Amino acid sequence: MKRQQWKRFGAVGGLGMALLATVAWAELPASAVGTSAPDEGDPRVEAALLVDATQVKPGDAFRVGVRFRMDPGWHIYWKNPGDSGLETEIAWDTPGSTVGPLQWPFPHTFRTPDGFIVTHGYDGEVLLFAQARAAEGATGSLQLSAAVEALVCEVHCIPAELMLTRSVPLGPQTQLDADAARAFDDAQTKVPRPTADTGHMVKLALDTPQLKAGQEFTGTLTVAGPGGAPLPALEADFFTPERIDGVERVTLTSAGPGRFALKGKAEPDVPTAEPRLTGVLRLGTKASGYQPVTVDVPLAPVVAVGAVAGAPVVKPPSVKDSIAAVKPVTAVAAPPPVAADDSVGLGLALLFAFLGGALLNLMPCVFPVLALKAYGFTRMVQQEHGRVGAHAAAYAGGIIGSLLLLAGAVLAVRAGGASVGWGFQFQEPLFVAAVSAVLVAFALNLFGVFNVGLDGTALAGKVDQSHGLLHSAGEGVLAVVLATPCSAPLLGTAVGFAFAAGPLTVLATFVALGLGLALPFCLLVLVPGLAKKLPKPGAWMERFKQVLGFALLGTTVWLVWVMGGLAGVDGMARLLAFLVAVGLGTWLYGQAQAQDGGRKLATVAVAALVLVASGVVALRFDETAAPAARTSTVAQAWDAAAVDTALAAGQPVFIDFTADWCLTCKFNERTVLAREEVRAAFTEHQVAFFVADWTRRDARITAKLAEHGRAGVPMYLVLSPGAPDKPEVLPELLTAEMVVDAVKRAAECSPSRRKEGSNILCATAGLPRP
Amino acid sequence: MKQVFTALALGTLFVGAPALADAEVGKPAPAFTLKDETGKEHSLAQYKGKVVVLEWTNPECPFVKRHYEADTMATTLKGFDAKKVVWLAVDSTAHNTPEKSATWKKAEGFPYPVLQDAPGTVGKAYGAKTTPHMYVIDEQGVVRYAGAIDDDPRGKNDKKVNHVKTAVDAVLTGKPVPAATTTPYGCSVKYKSS
Repeated sequence: MKRQQWKRFGAVGGLGMALLATVAWAELPASAVGTSAPDEGDPRVEAALLVDATQVKPGDAFRVGVRFRMDPGWHIYWKNPGDSGLETEIAWDTPGSTVGPLQWPFPHTFRTPDGFIVTHGYDGEVLLFAQARAAEGATGSLQLSAAVEALVCEVHCIPAELMLTRSVPLGPQTQLDADAARAFDDAQTKVPRPTADTGHMVKLALDTPQLKAGQEFTGTLTVAGPGGAPLPALEADFFTPERIDGVERVTLTSAGPGRFALKGKAEPDVPTAEPRLTGVLRLGTKASGYQPVTVDVPLAPVVAVGAVAGAPVVKPPSVKDSIAAVKPVTAVAAPPPVAADDSVGLGLALLFAFLGGALLNLMPCVFPVLALKAYGFTRMVQQEHGRVGAHAAAYAGGIIGSLLLLAGAVLAVRAGGASVGWGFQFQEPLFVAAVSAVLVAFALNLFGVFNVGLDGTALAGKVDQSHGLLHSAGEGVLAVVLATPCSAPLLGTAVGFAFAAGPLTVLATFVALGLGLALPFCLLVLVPGLAKKLPKPGAWMERFKQVLGFALLGTTVWLVWVMGGLAGVDGMARLLAFLVAVGLGTWLYGQAQAQDGGRKLATVAVAALVLVASGVVALRFDETAAPAARTSTVAQAWDAAAVDTALAAGQPVFIDFTADWCLTCKFNERTVLAREEVRAAFTEHQVAFFVADWTRRDARITAKLAEHGRAGVPMYLVLSPGAPDKPEVLPELLTAEMVVDAVKRAAECSPSRRKEGSNILCATAGLPRP
Repeated sequence: MKQVFTALALGTLFVGAPALADAEVGKPAPAFTLKDETGKEHSLAQYKGKVVVLEWTNPECPFVKRHYEADTMATTLKGFDAKKVVWLAVDSTAHNTPEKSATWKKAEGFPYPVLQDAPGTVGKAYGAKTTPHMYVIDEQGVVRYAGAIDDDPRGKNDKKVNHVKTAVDAVLTGKPVPAATTTPYGCSVKYKSS
């Protein structure tokens, strides 16, 4: 019934329009025009089916579209209608020709007087059109029909439904309809163009590596004109986002030329795919002319916020309810990589964690502490026989306690929605500064500049036992702090497993790790004969102690270099300045220890003042000041698209997941990857060498690591163009042979080589990983 | 480390502070007390212990009309245990009156009250944008669903997913709501222009 009515309206409206229209439109057939959205009998929209040609040659392209004319004050909607409304829909039925996607001119933004409801659409007149092409074999004439559905709103809304049809004759030549073509050209200039065509550069830097479900996020979008040209001035409502799955809202506000502050909020549900920032940007002003472009850049993965989704936080009413409420949380809290490495069972992971912890003792980052402890131990064995067990327990306790703290931090951060990896704290400049300060203070302590916890008078007396135990525990803590950047072999898999698993597994793995790390001292205690084999104490110990101080300073040099990677040359200078102040502060403290009464207090106060003041002044790090990822001449910065390109070109790919603070990574790079034979193999097999630098937080790299069951660097991937979806993961400690073999295998599996009759087994299942 | 602090800070916030604005999934629903078309008062607090469905409505809106012609709301409500679920319609249209709501309720013959929010305060506290715009609040007063009534804005699908039914069923059985937010569709809420 309704359809009938509208058709009648259509006929009448068509007639009216034909009368009104300029000469060129005069031939618009009645079936191609219509009116709809009757508002108490008064139609609020007129629509016409337009084609830019009067005759089309089979195989030629043409344009087809629907022109809407709304009554004043009324509007229809863009593809993202905004807070309310409905996307305008045109369904084509065009036998003999194909019609492409609908082209949407840049929309107008409508606001209710109080600004509470914001929608996007068109008022006045708009032509929504598409590119079409007549089939090669088409004969006779092209039948074009458009079924239009639109919601037409002023304050209230009226649905509009229209069926517009017309036919276009086919002929030996395509003949343009000049007036119609002008209308299409005009509409075309308002359709945003991809930045790839216009040459604009769009870059998005989010303030967090991930979006947390249901929470707000911020970032900065920078846009540069073609060739770095500055952007023209903008008008209000210059950005309209598309509907983005997983993102509730997103806005851009101008923050200087070419810079926009991005503010958004993620939906409470985690979307299946990583959301992208998609929308349209209108550059220029009415006076200067508009240039609309499309924005389409990746945002970041959305992660669930553990406590929010299922569990009412207000009050858990009963145990039963709490259990029911907890279940979904654990399901949500475990991030996607869970399934990545289920081949590693819990028991095996614990064993790896234990062995890995024991091996950590030999790593360059922990060794100075170990040596220090061995020194202290030697003295202890002589002085207080009965306390050996207690000290060993304190040391192990310090290790396990701080590891549990770390595990707790990991769980908390994960519950907060961010994903973290082994050594993540070294991505934080303040943490690096704090560890450096502790190391310097420790070294100065070893040089005898001051004494820890012991007054000058008490020095000669009996060692305060509780202080001594605390000291042991403190050394345990330091061992853990320093151990994290050295992801020893075996450890990567275990920690990767733990990070992807439930909270209990995380805790268990970290305890196993701690036991492993404390093993050497537990052995000394448990095996009676062993302790006696330690050298006798004597004057050599004082000298040895001072030598160890230099070892600690060496470790500090490495940390200062890490800071350089995080915060640039300025950051390094600030850290060094702070370390000098730390030196001064500890020296003052040492002076105070020899003084007494008010003077002593005053000196200690000055020392504290020096430390705090220098900390406040110096410890401000600008992470953006860090130099761009250092890449050598052969290596490229890792980028998933570039990897695909290289693979498509038949090149094997080697990806080095590394970080400045990762000593194992640097060791591998210096001793293996930089070697002549490895370089030669890379050149011979035309290996594309990518470096994924995790020195600073990078959600994409974290995700890639998790994909392979890892929580930290190093990780080495070899991809073959023959089996791009089956990368080979190399062990954490590389040998040149291993790398050369792996890239050789990958190269031989490339499809071009396989044709030559190579009988290499190409489905590389990857080396059996520990 | 910054992230740890953020996580801790957020954790404290969740426990400590009640929601201040907008009904957000996972957070306590904004409290309200409104009169219905007969002048009887309804507060969210009085329905604690029951699942509450809020339906922003406007009888003049074509989308609302379509759903009432199809009896979408009444049918959905019938599918629930009446002892456990309360359905409240809210009309935040500036020019609505209790009389208009009463006439409409009589004509359509639905059982639930139409809460009168002509000043729009409750609508804006919830962030209701469209009619219909649906909210599901659980027994503890926490918002568990916000969005559209179903996945069929144009009223054309034979097989539609009723999001409110899915959400209420999930809440009643203690399961997480599969799609906790959807994009609501329909007319804009005709708020008083202030």
